[in-house]
Amino acid sequence: MQFPAPELVSPRRLLLVTDQLQAPADFLLHRFLHLHLKQTKTKCIILAVSDGLERWKSVASKANVNVAQNDSFQFIDVFDHHPPLADREGGNTNKSSLRTIYDLLSVKLSDSQVDDQTPLVILDDIASLEWLGFSLLDLSRFARALRSLCVKMNAALVVRHHIVTPPEPDALLQHLLQLCTYHIEVRPLASGRSGAVSGEICVHLGPSVKDTQEHLISRTSALQYRLTEASAVFFEKGTSTGVL
Amino acid sequence: MSSFKRKTPSGRATLPQGTRLSPFSTSTVITSTGIPSLDDILGGGLPLSCSLAVLAPDHHTAYGELVQKYFVAQGLASGQKVFLIHNEPLRFAKECIWMPGSAPSTPAQSSATEDADDEMASQHDDKIKIAWRYEQMKKFQTTVSSNSLNDDLCLTFDLTCKIPDAIIDAARQSAQLVLIGVDTSEDAGGVIKQIEGLLSSSASTQAVRICIPALGSPHWGDLQPSTVLGMLHTIRRLLHRYPSACASLSLAPHICGDTWGGQGWVQKIGWLTDAAISMSAFSANPSLVSLFPSHHGLLQILRLPAPHTILPASDKHSTLRGLSSAAGTMGGSGENNLAFKCMRKRLIFETLHLDLEGGVTERRTTPSSNAIVLDAGIMHDTTPATVSATGGRKGSLAAVEVELEHVKDLTVEASFPHAVTDSMPDLSSPSPAKSKKPKKKVVFHSERPDLYDF
Repeated sequence: MQFPAPELVSPRRLLLVTDQLQAPADFLLHRFLHLHLKQTKTKCIILAVSDGLERWKSVASKANVNVAQNDSFQFIDVFDHHPPLADREGGNTNKSSLRTIYDLLSVKLSDSQVDDQTPLVILDDIASLEWLGFSLLDLSRFARALRSLCVKMNAALVVRHHIVTPPEPDALLQHLLQLCTYHIEVRPLASGRSGAVSGEICVHLGPSVKDTQEHLISRTSALQYRLTEASAVFFEKGTSTGVL
Repeated sequence: MSSFKRKTPSGRATLPQGTRLSPFSTSTVITSTGIPSLDDILGGGLPLSCSLAVLAPDHHTAYGELVQKYFVAQGLASGQKVFLIHNEPLRFAKECIWMPGSAPSTPAQSSATEDADDEMASQHDDKIKIAWRYEQMKKFQTTVSSNSLNDDLCLTFDLTCKIPDAIIDAARQSAQLVLIGVDTSEDAGGVIKQIEGLLSSSASTQAVRICIPALGSPHWGDLQPSTVLGMLHTIRRLLHRYPSACASLSLAPHICGDTWGGQGWVQKIGWLTDAAISMSAFSANPSLVSLFPSHHGLLQILRLPAPHTILPASDKHSTLRGLSSAAGTMGGSGENNLAFKCMRKRLIFETLHLDLEGGVTERRTTPSSNAIVLDAGIMHDTTPATVSATGGRKGSLAAVEVELEHVKDLTVEASFPHAVTDSMPDLSSPSPAKSKKPKKKVVFHSERPDLYDF
């Protein structure tokens, strides 16, 4: 089973990836990155909040994707442009650093605006930004700005969000849901961790998108996966014993 | 340029003292936390450039600080640099534990026999007749003691031995142990700046341990949840920048729960650190104490370190968690429930199994009163909604009547190991000797000769 389907990550789309602590979705982001670099060989920009460059590089090398010398891979650490803990004095610094990131990103994207190029932008973790003090208003505006920038520049955007209160969507998630084209939900198994299945994936359509059945995976027929060293193996429910 | 390059082992000729390459992932350097069973749970040890958060939500015990004492002692004993951040760091350092046999009045042999006695106390009779097909199987093991891989790395510490003053003084003299004080006049940002300054000035050939035994205690001032999260995040970024360091923090009991940090607090801590565990002691809940008499608390794993891979090393290689036999093969069992106990001489993490008496061999026809209290107690711990609704009352016997109405409507939240909560309602009876209701039961008597005696 192949996930994602080849056309899922395509330009001018916002893919919202949500996960929980028991079933993190970083493998999915790494997979999007590797597939993009291998297949289209166009630019890939990571806006990272928590993970460092080291991890992206070592996981990519385990998957035989050369990221270190690859010009198409660019890494922006969001907190490099943000003053440290002691010097923050409130909402204005937060707003200005989000603005800086936006400007930096638009410069990088316009650099590569050659026709037929479809860059991929991955924002790892917008939830941590909210927990670290960025206001909900700033973040929802930032998400909207990112979305419109990517539509303008013909880029695909993937945003990761952590769910910490499982049944109830928090305010930021509601904003993001309104913006997204597809909502990829990575959930843990209801019965806890297991060796053979690490979790399951569902794909929902964003609420403001025209009705279509393409790419959708409902919760009842969720695709299950098992993590491996550098990637994951996907299989339908109940077929895990047949996976080598 | 082909992207397929032959992977040559990274030219890391000398590893920092007290560390080794992880046997499961050659790009990760791991070091021991001082507790062999915790090392096993983390997948061999705590990797450098990772931060570990230990939550200990019980107010009456200090297991989080105990884990930190092991961490500091292991760092000093292996010759690594230790930065200790506490409101009275010297006092904390002096309370740390040390290896046995260092004081002349306690020779190593007697301590070894006493240790053996401790373990004999719970061993069953060796004369049990074992069916011939099972004779070849190895003995049932609930924990991992220091194995041969780790012997040189993880030293055996003895809780009854305090660290000699001479060692502390020598360490402070040589700047191996750096004590950083915390008081209400200085805020969290200042502490982080000090750590950063020290990290930038220390050589990268020496491993550094950053230890914060009581983050959030009153001496830190009035901390806000966002400040604590900011600190965790900044420490994590510092560790990415200085990859020869690792950090271990213990949160003060009152900041370990959703009532302080808001909904989803524990999950947020898990996301902002590389590894997080929660040790919930039984002391607040007497029914759990009677249910698991040989353990002192449950261990919940929130997050495991995976600094260079997608899959944490512990998932495939931890003997305690028991996932390794199932990973990738036919079927897949769930992982073992884990608990910890503090024995006289050491702290160990073990797999948790139901006792002989309270298990499935005893059949009841009606649920016991204890089981209802137990359920109510567990429900309180796991559902924040009920905590606020009932004013945070724990499973006290006096409140049983009221809680019964709520028990039926509750859905069990995911913050407690599912396997354990699933087994709780299945539990026939904890069967304390003092249960007042007469109950019908069928009990397996081992002394009566029966059909199965070969």
